[in-house]
Amino acid sequence: MRVRIKFEKTGIMRYVGHLDLMRFFQKAVKRADLNIRYSEGFNPHQIMSFALPLGVGLTSVGEYMDIDIKNAISSETGIKLLNDNMVEGLKIVSFKYLPDEALKCMTAVSAAHYKVTYKDPFNDIVYVENLKELKETFYDNADCINISKETKKGTRELDLKPLIYSFDLSYVDKIPVYDLYVSCGSTDNIKPELVIKTFYNACKLGEFDENALDIMRIDMFTGEKNNLISLGDIGDDK
Amino acid sequence: MKKLALSDDILMAIDKPARYIGNEFNTVNKNPADVDIRFAMCFPDVYEVGMSHLGIAILYDMFNRRSDTYCERVYSPWPDLHAIMKERNIPLFALESQDPVKEFDFIGITLQYEMCYTNILQLIDLTQIAFYSKDRKNDDPIVIVGGPCIYNPEPFADFVDLVYIGEGETSYDELLDLYKKHKAMGENYSKQAFLREASRVPGIYVPSLYEVNYKEDGTIASFGPIYDDVPSTISRQVVTDMDSSVYPTKMLIPFVRPIQDRVVLEIQRGCIRGCRFCQAGMIYRPNREKSIGVLKQQAKELLANSGHEEISLSSLSSSDYHALPELMDFLIEDCLQEGVNVSLPSLRIDAFSLDVMNKVQDVRKSSLTFAPEAGSQRMRDVINKGLTKEDILNGSKMAFEGGWNKVKLYFMLGLPTETDEDMKAIPELANEVAVEYYHIPKDQRNGKCQITMSTSFFVPKPFTPFQWAPMYEPGEYLRRAKLVNDTMKEQLNRKSLKYNWHEADVTVLEGVFARGDRRLAPAILEAYLSGCFFDAWGEYFSYEKWLKAFENNNISLEYYAYRQRDLDEILPWDFIDVHVTKSFLIREWNNAMNERITANCKQGCSGCGSFDLGTGVCHARKN
Repeated sequence: MRVRIKFEKTGIMRYVGHLDLMRFFQKAVKRADLNIRYSEGFNPHQIMSFALPLGVGLTSVGEYMDIDIKNAISSETGIKLLNDNMVEGLKIVSFKYLPDEALKCMTAVSAAHYKVTYKDPFNDIVYVENLKELKETFYDNADCINISKETKKGTRELDLKPLIYSFDLSYVDKIPVYDLYVSCGSTDNIKPELVIKTFYNACKLGEFDENALDIMRIDMFTGEKNNLISLGDIGDDK
Repeated sequence: MKKLALSDDILMAIDKPARYIGNEFNTVNKNPADVDIRFAMCFPDVYEVGMSHLGIAILYDMFNRRSDTYCERVYSPWPDLHAIMKERNIPLFALESQDPVKEFDFIGITLQYEMCYTNILQLIDLTQIAFYSKDRKNDDPIVIVGGPCIYNPEPFADFVDLVYIGEGETSYDELLDLYKKHKAMGENYSKQAFLREASRVPGIYVPSLYEVNYKEDGTIASFGPIYDDVPSTISRQVVTDMDSSVYPTKMLIPFVRPIQDRVVLEIQRGCIRGCRFCQAGMIYRPNREKSIGVLKQQAKELLANSGHEEISLSSLSSSDYHALPELMDFLIEDCLQEGVNVSLPSLRIDAFSLDVMNKVQDVRKSSLTFAPEAGSQRMRDVINKGLTKEDILNGSKMAFEGGWNKVKLYFMLGLPTETDEDMKAIPELANEVAVEYYHIPKDQRNGKCQITMSTSFFVPKPFTPFQWAPMYEPGEYLRRAKLVNDTMKEQLNRKSLKYNWHEADVTVLEGVFARGDRRLAPAILEAYLSGCFFDAWGEYFSYEKWLKAFENNNISLEYYAYRQRDLDEILPWDFIDVHVTKSFLIREWNNAMNERITANCKQGCSGCGSFDLGTGVCHARKN
């Protein structure tokens, strides 16, 4: 039976990359004795898939992993067994049984919600006058936001506007905090740092350093722009 | 949130930042304020190499069982981070607490191969203490080293305070208790007084308490302690009961993939074989096995506590373990169904091992490995490698019939008494292995076969019967490799043969360090200061820099590497009693010169000197 596990990856775990995280979970489910199912064939591997890789340096409170287990256990037990095998910065928050028709999280994911701020409040790039107006000009009032995106096959012209589902700006202790919903998944995967970088470049706000941003993924969704459903709302506790 | 020694901008700028954050599952976390002794356990190579090392795992577990001690880990910062730490004056830190190592009581470094000697200096340098032990302050950490290279500690003797000779399980408690007693003296603590008393702990060598005098020809005239209460020989420490010895079953789970991504079950120590080139075969005597019941229990715990999907056996010669079939049956029955692979150690190729391999491996992908070490029977008799051509050809034939079509053969070049005929015998043997393959009817074959020969160049090691043997200049090693290569091209089945050989100049350096003495220290330091470190990594090795450092410090390759040593010369490591006597080594050297083989320890005792330890194969045989 298929289970969707929601987890957080925060703090110092931001420095652990996606492949290393996958290997960590492969061992953790073995230690937790979850009785995971293996694929058939010459080189059996655990049936486990992740919604969307999180880049090194980013944190998240909304990560998802689907696994297939042989024996049902209560959600509470599943969470506990896994949490006993986590390290600081990794926490399991839900363990839900998926209905048969549910798509794998990797296939289903279509949007992600990010909170973006700055790591260093004393960094000069934090303080920009009229940032709100600039953001409205750049996004709210724009018909299109055309960029050239580097891909493996060369550069591709792309309109960002329809792929940014929402782009809000607020201030916390005078530090700007961007709230972003963007398209993601296999077709149009928009990274939050690309949006902020494009914004900085469009407004000529000076040298842009991706590493200055503190990016946290809040959640991931499936469905259309106007009808997003959290990946964590699919399935049921047992 | 756990604090980190490195800032975010550094971690985001370097390769694989997860090497430096600690936080691995099964890591031991203690409050440094609650302990008396802080021990930084260092592996002088990159994280992925160091995290694969069993010895460190054993000592980490053993030290942390003491409530008064906190043992943390340190690996060599990769050159990208090294440059940043030097530039920004960031001190070396331990992974668990992220505290500077300079605040610790001990810096323990394991020396697994000679080419890591400059990495010892990198660790000392980044710790921000003086290179030479004599220049360090009273409250600087005590640098202690262990591992196989310490059977000749003299090349690095001036950089370290203590050398632990032998297996760590036996004397560390006594040493740490002694240190605690001295540290309790507070302001009256004297490092000198501690070192003096430590010199009487079994297995502990304190280089600063010994002096060496040299003859005019450069050889050693005398070597001995400066004080009467310091022992003149140091006795190698040996675990007498492997079953009750500590063994960690909660292995740390690294985030960055280690080179050995599996749990390791040590099944025995020492080897019965007595190959004359092999240091491990001498310095870990006698062969001591764990009992099968203990191994089954440890295998289960190791897998359950780690979640690894692969287990491998560790020993010098697994085929010699008395209950190998039972152990393999257990592992296959119990582990395979759980999705766990059993990775096989080097086994003798025979009907049993092929049967096991058939069960655990995907035949199509794997290749079989033989280590004949020498091509001719004459040469194999010289080195006492108890493997005949028939063994190799029969093993290959069985393997080919079982569906394998790839064979790897390992050899050494530059062994004592080696002739051109012995070298040519290497590709000739490989050709005969290929012939075995083509004897199989064509419709039962699996395409072509591939026989890969690899040669390393022989490095004479202390405490082996070949410790007196000469080495050759790099050009001569390459001539030998070329002769093998040229002869390979004359073979009938040359299209099925492949040949790889090792670097020659790094071999000569290994030889210099393996049998060097205290006069090498200034050259090692100069090489480090001129930019040599991570010498074991081809891309960072510079032979030219090393030659220059040797030249500037009057280090002669002729003296350290190329000359034949006299049997009565005082060797730099003679003060260590490894429980293999010099008279045995001389007897074995003479047997080698006469091409006479010596029985293995299960066939009969050859009187090496280990019998008196009262344990292992020497005594099991009688029962």
